[in-house]
Amino acid sequence: MLSRAVFLSANFLKGSAPLGAGLVHAPRSLHTSSQSLAPVPPLPEKPGKVRHGFVPEEFFQLLYPKTGVTGPYMFGTGLIIYLLSKEIYVINQETLAGISIGAIIIYAVKKFGPSVAAFADQLNEEKVAKVQEVKDLAMTNLAQAIENEKKEQWRVEGRSMLFDAKRNNVAMLLETNYRERQHMVTNEVKRRLDYQIALQHLNRRLEQEHMINWVEKSVISSITPQQEKESIAKCITDLKALAKSTQAKAVI
Amino acid sequence: MAGRRAALKAIDWVAFAERVPPNQRSMFNALKTRSDAISAKLASLPESPAAIDWSYYRSAVAKPGMVDEFEKKFSALKVPEPVDTQTAKINAQETEANKSALAYIEASKARITKYEEELDKFKNMIPFDQMTIEDLNEIFPETKLDKVKYPYWPHKPIADL
Repeated sequence: MLSRAVFLSANFLKGSAPLGAGLVHAPRSLHTSSQSLAPVPPLPEKPGKVRHGFVPEEFFQLLYPKTGVTGPYMFGTGLIIYLLSKEIYVINQETLAGISIGAIIIYAVKKFGPSVAAFADQLNEEKVAKVQEVKDLAMTNLAQAIENEKKEQWRVEGRSMLFDAKRNNVAMLLETNYRERQHMVTNEVKRRLDYQIALQHLNRRLEQEHMINWVEKSVISSITPQQEKESIAKCITDLKALAKSTQAKAVI
Repeated sequence: MAGRRAALKAIDWVAFAERVPPNQRSMFNALKTRSDAISAKLASLPESPAAIDWSYYRSAVAKPGMVDEFEKKFSALKVPEPVDTQTAKINAQETEANKSALAYIEASKARITKYEEELDKFKNMIPFDQMTIEDLNEIFPETKLDKVKYPYWPHKPIADL
């Protein structure tokens, strides 16, 4: 009784998780040869086609050429009538119980089957998506790491530039130093010569000034008081004459 | 002595800057500023000092022999060139750097081959919907359930579920 229920529901539910140990006795019978074929071909997604839940489609196809479309149905009807009339299948209280339970089970599976299947599929999808994400992340990271390594190698190739720069610096410093020394020598010599010239000029100037002072002093001391009075009187008369001539000029 | 004008190689600072990794950028900037300062100083000094006008001094200075003596001594004087102590050290540094660079490149290449191996493993993996649990455990060993340490389902500590 219950075995038939299991049989029915197993055929109704859509393909459940292919990942997992559920479909152990599905076509893994490909292990016929001693060598295992790897990778193993994938499991079929859907079960074989059935009509009315438990009669395989192949049976109908088998009888179609001889008896047409109604053939298998006639066969089925005949079989049931034979079983009932010959009392090979006895109707008793279990029959009614079986019919009721069967009806309920068929109704439940037809109603809720697809949603349960979708739920199971979704669980599986999540698992696969998680692993797929891990895989993608790993792949991008590896590619990135390879890129980085190549870039670092390219960078290392430029190392000679550093040493060129250093050697340049050293050469420039040496050259600068040399030039500075040359300049210093020249400037020092110039300074010494200029000092001599400046010294000469100073001497000359001092001599000149001294002589001028001395001449002035002697001239002033040689002016006697008599000469001074005479020169002052002459100056006054000159001034008076000048004033008269200027006044005359101004009147005119 | 002939190394006075020892070749100043033109350095392409732009290309150099590209090759500097970010963690050494400050050192590179310091080097660049130093180099620029040195070259600016060099450029500011004229190449040879201004010549001394001996005839003017000869006519101006009263002391008879002094100018001639100065001139003689001055032209006889040779300014010694500064000695180059650093270039040998720099060359030694360069050879050392070359060695370590080669070693680094070797190690880098080894790393690249390892990465490429793993990348190939991922590329040639069978798609997930054709895998079994055994296949998954092979490829990602961390998914393998330890049935010895945790003999009862779910084969991992409850906290890890």
